Amino acid sequence: MEPIRSYASQEIETETNPIEPQQKPKLKKRKAWVPGLLLLTPILLFIFGFFVIPMLYILYLSFISTDNLGAEDAVYSLKNYTQLFSDTYYLSSLWLTVKISLYSVLVALFLGYPVALTMARSSARIRGYITLLIVSPLLVSIVVRNFGWYLLLLPNGTINQTLMALGIINAPLKLLFSEIGVVIGLSNAYLPFMILSIVASLYNIDPSLDKAGAILGASPFRRFFSITLPLSIPGIVSGCILVFSLSMSAYVTPALMGGANVPVMPVVIYDQINNLLHWTFGSALSYILLATTVISVTIFTRMFEKGKFKEVFR
Amino acid sequence: MKAFSGLRIALAVLAIIYILIPLIVVIPASFTSANYPSFPADGFSLQWYTKILERPEFLEAFFNSAKFAALAALFSVIFGTLGALGIAKYDIPGKSYITALLTSPLSVPQLVLGIALLMYFTPMMLAGTSTGFLIAHIVICIPYVMRLVLTGLSGFDYNLERAAAILGANPATVFLKVTLPLIGSAAISGGLFAFLTSFDNVTVSLFMVSPEMRTLPIEIFSQMQDAYNPIVASVSSVVIFISVLLIIILEKIQGVGKVFGGSHHTNG
Repeated sequence: MEPIRSYASQEIETETNPIEPQQKPKLKKRKAWVPGLLLLTPILLFIFGFFVIPMLYILYLSFISTDNLGAEDAVYSLKNYTQLFSDTYYLSSLWLTVKISLYSVLVALFLGYPVALTMARSSARIRGYITLLIVSPLLVSIVVRNFGWYLLLLPNGTINQTLMALGIINAPLKLLFSEIGVVIGLSNAYLPFMILSIVASLYNIDPSLDKAGAILGASPFRRFFSITLPLSIPGIVSGCILVFSLSMSAYVTPALMGGANVPVMPVVIYDQINNLLHWTFGSALSYILLATTVISVTIFTRMFEKGKFKEVFR
Repeated sequence: MKAFSGLRIALAVLAIIYILIPLIVVIPASFTSANYPSFPADGFSLQWYTKILERPEFLEAFFNSAKFAALAALFSVIFGTLGALGIAKYDIPGKSYITALLTSPLSVPQLVLGIALLMYFTPMMLAGTSTGFLIAHIVICIPYVMRLVLTGLSGFDYNLERAAAILGANPATVFLKVTLPLIGSAAISGGLFAFLTSFDNVTVSLFMVSPEMRTLPIEIFSQMQDAYNPIVASVSSVVIFISVLLIIILEKIQGVGKVFGGSHHTNG
């Protein structure tokens, strides 16, 4: 090997010589990962064949402006994408989806933060129990959880009856088949994700900072708002992003808790695909929904990363 | 000090009740003797449980769900465990990209995934077939199994495998007698989790089922959309019972929180 290398150009020679001792184990490794790749082959083929290709396929479909799928006279255009902007129905549906997702994020944040803080300040055992309590409902079908809310939100359901008995309201509120019902359903379903995100960032806060604040005479209230809350911003941001993206694309809860009264994008898309059979338009709407989510999330993250809390995002 | 932490704990308890309450109300509501669903229940009877047995569509849907969930769990555990072993044990170039690719079905909305698979399966004649349904469910389950088994492998001591090999065990024996028992619990909890994920799935299944083949959550979903009937409460209670049973087993083996811990990709 050596003589061959010395005949090579000057550049290569000077570069290879110092690296040479490290190159031998690297060559050995190159052979060593082959069995690893063999182990990965089935799952990689499966995910490529039944996830990556189908996702690209509907991207391709979304540019076909006719519904003659695969027909010879297929016309490629951006019509499916521009149609959204020419019809106020789809634009208002998109806005409704964003609005409902934002409300769900706010409810989840308000209810989730105290739980996360309590978990971070409890013993490992209590923390384990709380984790079990908040995560287990995620493993029960969403239709069952929505049915529970249905029972509570009915016009003569528990919540309306309680509020009327307390004299807070005179007539039953329209909780079911309304935006409120959808927000309740979504925030309830995704609250655990918010809590887990915030807990993760609360663990990373050095406890001596809080102690230092206490020694310097800050009240628990002051310590929370000046130390704990600002330092947990990354967890809040990732929790909000998670709940927002999940709410944007949720179909079952809006369909059951909102029905035709709350036509969010997923409900509209489902209708286009399954009832109207506008497959190419439905595919385009899916990608518009995805893009809207990604863009909103990016704007939101940028706002925090460039703003006042820049330093906590390192 | 007391006031602040008191307020925090009160709010936390309220939030936990908020998470649990939709599940809590379903079970008492299922024992109603009335002909309409309500909470608190009007009277007490088991009639809505006995009525499940009179409705063949629920029983059929239940067995369909259980069968496909078991198959989806089996396949995703085989694929996922092999893949996780490949990633954890060997220094594959682009490892982090491969892991990201394999968990990416979680970051795509299930609605979009369902549409994509329906469009893709239609020309392949797989739409509405049990094969198509099973494939879709394996795609959803794989990321969870991968994550659980990778977590299980993170503390794995490969010296044990090496020791067995030095002592003369062939690769098959090493895998069966050393590797598998050590990662077994992670693979089993991955399987249980995959079972629950598949058993409970609605969104992707909506695009995959056919009128002849329905699953239990789909049956509940359409019953809820058509007419609310107390039988939904009793069927839902059965679903809760099965889920809780599996969650207890899962918690004993590995801890339920692990699947969701620090995840940024989980999609409901």
